[in-house]
Amino acid sequence: MAEMTELVADLRERLALVRQGGSESARAKHTARGKLLVRDRVDRLLDPGSPFLELSPLAATGMYGAPGQDNAVPAAGIVTGIGRVEGREVVVVANDATVKGGTYYPLTVKKHLRAQTIASDNHLPCVYLVDSGGAFLPMQDDVFPDREHFGRIFFNQANLSGRGIPQIASVMGSCTAGGAYVPAMSDESVIVKNQGTIFLGGPPLVKAATGEIVSAEDLGGGDVHARTSGVVDHLADDDAHALRIVRSIVATLPTQTHGRPPGAVEEPHQPPESLYDVVPTDTRTPYDVREVIRRIVDGSRMHEFKKLYGETLVTCFAKIHGYDVGIIANNGILFSESALKGAHFIELCNQRGNPLVFLQNITGFMVGREYENRGIARDGAKLVTAVACSVVPKFTVVIGGSFGAGNYGMCGRAYDPRFLWMWPNARISVMGGEQAASVLAEVRTDLEGEEQVEAFKAPIRRTYETQGSPYYSTARLWDDGVIDPADTRRVLGMGLAVAAHAPVPAPNYGIFRM
Amino acid sequence: MAQPFDAVLVANRGEIALRVMRTARTMGLRTVAVFTAADRDAPHVRAADDAVEVSSYLGIEEIVKAADDRGARLIHPGYGFLSERSSFAREIEGTETVTLVGPSAAVMDAMGKKDAAREIAVAAGVPVVPSYANDADPATFAFPVLVKAAAGGGGKGMRIVRALDELEPSLAAAKREALSAFGDDTILIEKYVEHGRHIEVQVLADHHGNVVHLFERDCSTQRRHQKVLEEAPAPTISPAQRELVTTSAVALARAVDYTNAGTVEFLLDSDTGEVYFLEMNTRLQVEHPVTEEVVRVRGERLDLVEQQLLVAAGQPLSFGQDDVTVEGHAIEARIYAEDSFGGFLPQAGRAELVRWSDAARVDHALESGQVVSTSFDPMLGKVIAWGEDREAARARLIDALDRTGVLGLTTNTGFVRALAARDEFRDATIDTAWLDHAEVAPPSALVPLTLAAWVAAALTGPRFAAAGAGDPFAPDGWRSAGPKAPTLVALEHAGRVHELEVDAAASTVDSSAVRERTLADHVVVLTIDGRDELAVVNAQAHSIEVAYQGQRFVFERPDAFADHGPAAGDGTLVAPMPGTVLDVLVSVGQQVAEGETLGAMEAMKMELALKAPFAGTVTEIGVSAGQQVALGATLIVVEARDE
Repeated sequence: MAEMTELVADLRERLALVRQGGSESARAKHTARGKLLVRDRVDRLLDPGSPFLELSPLAATGMYGAPGQDNAVPAAGIVTGIGRVEGREVVVVANDATVKGGTYYPLTVKKHLRAQTIASDNHLPCVYLVDSGGAFLPMQDDVFPDREHFGRIFFNQANLSGRGIPQIASVMGSCTAGGAYVPAMSDESVIVKNQGTIFLGGPPLVKAATGEIVSAEDLGGGDVHARTSGVVDHLADDDAHALRIVRSIVATLPTQTHGRPPGAVEEPHQPPESLYDVVPTDTRTPYDVREVIRRIVDGSRMHEFKKLYGETLVTCFAKIHGYDVGIIANNGILFSESALKGAHFIELCNQRGNPLVFLQNITGFMVGREYENRGIARDGAKLVTAVACSVVPKFTVVIGGSFGAGNYGMCGRAYDPRFLWMWPNARISVMGGEQAASVLAEVRTDLEGEEQVEAFKAPIRRTYETQGSPYYSTARLWDDGVIDPADTRRVLGMGLAVAAHAPVPAPNYGIFRM
Repeated sequence: MAQPFDAVLVANRGEIALRVMRTARTMGLRTVAVFTAADRDAPHVRAADDAVEVSSYLGIEEIVKAADDRGARLIHPGYGFLSERSSFAREIEGTETVTLVGPSAAVMDAMGKKDAAREIAVAAGVPVVPSYANDADPATFAFPVLVKAAAGGGGKGMRIVRALDELEPSLAAAKREALSAFGDDTILIEKYVEHGRHIEVQVLADHHGNVVHLFERDCSTQRRHQKVLEEAPAPTISPAQRELVTTSAVALARAVDYTNAGTVEFLLDSDTGEVYFLEMNTRLQVEHPVTEEVVRVRGERLDLVEQQLLVAAGQPLSFGQDDVTVEGHAIEARIYAEDSFGGFLPQAGRAELVRWSDAARVDHALESGQVVSTSFDPMLGKVIAWGEDREAARARLIDALDRTGVLGLTTNTGFVRALAARDEFRDATIDTAWLDHAEVAPPSALVPLTLAAWVAAALTGPRFAAAGAGDPFAPDGWRSAGPKAPTLVALEHAGRVHELEVDAAASTVDSSAVRERTLADHVVVLTIDGRDELAVVNAQAHSIEVAYQGQRFVFERPDAFADHGPAAGDGTLVAPMPGTVLDVLVSVGQQVAEGETLGAMEAMKMELALKAPFAGTVTEIGVSAGQQVALGATLIVVEARDE
């Protein structure tokens, strides 16, 4: 197993490749038209110096083509994230037209929808920087018809707007067919003249349908939509001007309360990079998770709850960037006591309104007759119930293994944490590759001899190895990104900051099996 | 008659009022200011022990009465306003109680008229410019000649005539100007010196017959006869010329029984070396500080205002000519509210931020937040630098001007700074007409842009972030998926948006290496590509102003909604409502300007002007006067002119 520094270097390399966007020729063509590259647009949209929490930058990695290959779709062709505009935290959704013309692959849709979910959960205004040819037609069956497909984007826009979450669009390129509804469904929209176009059917389709021959600009250019159709509200001279107009629009939105207690914040006593040294990259090597917690929380101080009980789960109150949080971190396998302790602690945090941070490094619940007979499933269920019904914002960081039911008890993706991040050493699967291979070999009756068993198990191990990778996970948007462990405190702080914008209802739990 | 004066009224405003009060206070005198309504909160009012409102700084009777009422036995007139009005001196002379800090009304009268002054000078053996009698035959004139008003100064009623046929109209015009400006159309005609340097001698005379000179000043750097840079001693004159001007000045002062401080002006013909008497100024000059900076009396500095007050108090001069020496060199730059690089237009407005240099003497009356109006002389202050020699003084002056920042309104600081840095000034080859045709370039906007961008980025950065330490959204350019992003600063200048990339971590602005040395209290010093650059900066929400090398640069933060008028492309004027065409004012093929009214229509009881959306040609007229039109009907089509 590689050292953490090597894993981080590998992560950075992957990110650097994706950051380039499409091919060199596609980028050259894009900028030759006077258009800004997608990340340059984001940089100009955000306040000077604003940080940007980019979401799932490695989405779609290897799903349509190997990274760097022609058929790759870096970042799923769309940049999403959270940054500050005019002092307000907003969700940015920006197409990258240098990647397959900004068309929507299945993962592009998923990433767009995930950004909207984050906006919904945290009451964040949405800014769409549109430059897309619409659905990727060869994969229309995985893009168009289902509940969580293309149409959901507009369903979300309508409902977000309905809940008072502003929807703002800037049309900076094509905005064709279904995509035309992004500006049309927005509260306020901008178009770049002689560059942005909006139409339900482009000139070729119009010609095929009605025989009418019309230029893109006359059909749905900036002048048409700003002066005649009223589809957009503002006409911009160029990308930079459009982004200034968007900033001006955001400046008219109600200001957000940051919910951050005033006063200075004490940094952890060890530098964040020291996390590289305290965490063994092999998930099987035990270590004290408190070493991680102390490097994430303010002043390295934790108020530990039930330190002497259920010791394989560490629960504590602490502050991150000034925000009160309850932290639940694995420190070994889950036993009944640790599950009960976790459930108790989650109830406490819900009672007090403390957001929950899960530091996940779990191989699972203890198995065996003794434990089953004592009802570990019953206690595990209590923890899962508490996690599932918890109403305070939840944040999950997979800092090691994420296996089996431990994933559920520790707030895996299915438990709706506001954000879920993975460290580059993380592993995720229903069980470990070795265990899966052994279980599957065990149920086979036709395997004879060591060699046959080994031949049977090897591909299973390989599959688990591949699918357990954090990059396999992040490609499929099972998380919100693989992060540098040194950034953990920062991303949690940003998550806590935005989570504070949405009110928290009263908790209401399902039946705890006693 | 050494009476114990205990208060002095200063019949002036601005820097000179403060200058006089400063000395008065060190002498233990109470100070009384006068002010007009607009100056109620002016610095000179606040600086004074007592202040009296008057209707005008020219109100002779009220000012004299104010002095009397407030027990001020001395009135210091400063310069300008009443300082050379003999009627004022005469009014004061008529009182028992008040004394003017200046010469007598009779002396002012004698020196106030150029023709009379000239005769006195001739009688005193002072060389004068060869002149022609008004009735002389113009055919005998050696052109060019100068035609000027006998009363007056400041270039009014003055004309250079280079040929015989220009003489008649010039004379007529000069007379008209003289009459309207001075109420006296007496005209002098004299030899015109093409290349002259302006030399003037400071004299000081008491009521006991003692007259000394305090050497000379050179004020050759003039624009339209207004002095811009002044220095002492004169850099180009020979010992013989110095001897001639100083002895002439003393002789003239003696000839008119001059008292108090005065200045005798000479013109030095650079081509011939001849020196000619021009006029005598019967007051303290604006540029008196350069004399104060270099003159030593028995090795000590001299305060001219103190000497004036002592002389007015009747005391004899405490030193003789032999006690007076000169040490080093001093140069003064006058700071005006004027846009020197924009046609020298006078400027007015609020001086939002003012920083004067502490690297040189600065006599000023301008503070941050003060409103500068056009009602008074636009001079805001003077920067005076002393050095062991002229080059040292010049270097210090440039440095002091670099540290001077007047923001909120434009001043000539950048202009005088550029001027002081010119080779011609360094080499003292400037004549009094040089500036009237020289091209002086403002500093480039490149360095100020870099300075502004750095400050803008720093102010938005974590160092000054309002949210305070610990904000996870601290504006440090952090990226979860890459290295920190540089801060982008967009600034609009001269109609162009500049986008600069400030990378605090790499310490660069665009491709320039930047090292921050100071950034505090509106002063920034950066080392940009190895050069130290200093500026005074005022960063506001919508603009950043930078004073760099004295010059004010205004960088606007781009406004998304400014100046984006109707775009070219659609020049079709359509009826905004159903109505009646009232008038069509253009015809097809006609060239029209942007915003020009092309016609009018009436709709819903309103008359609407039909205006050209941009400059272009009328290509179509779809209607005629009186015609009923429907909503959206094409009225007039304008085609844009290709730029």
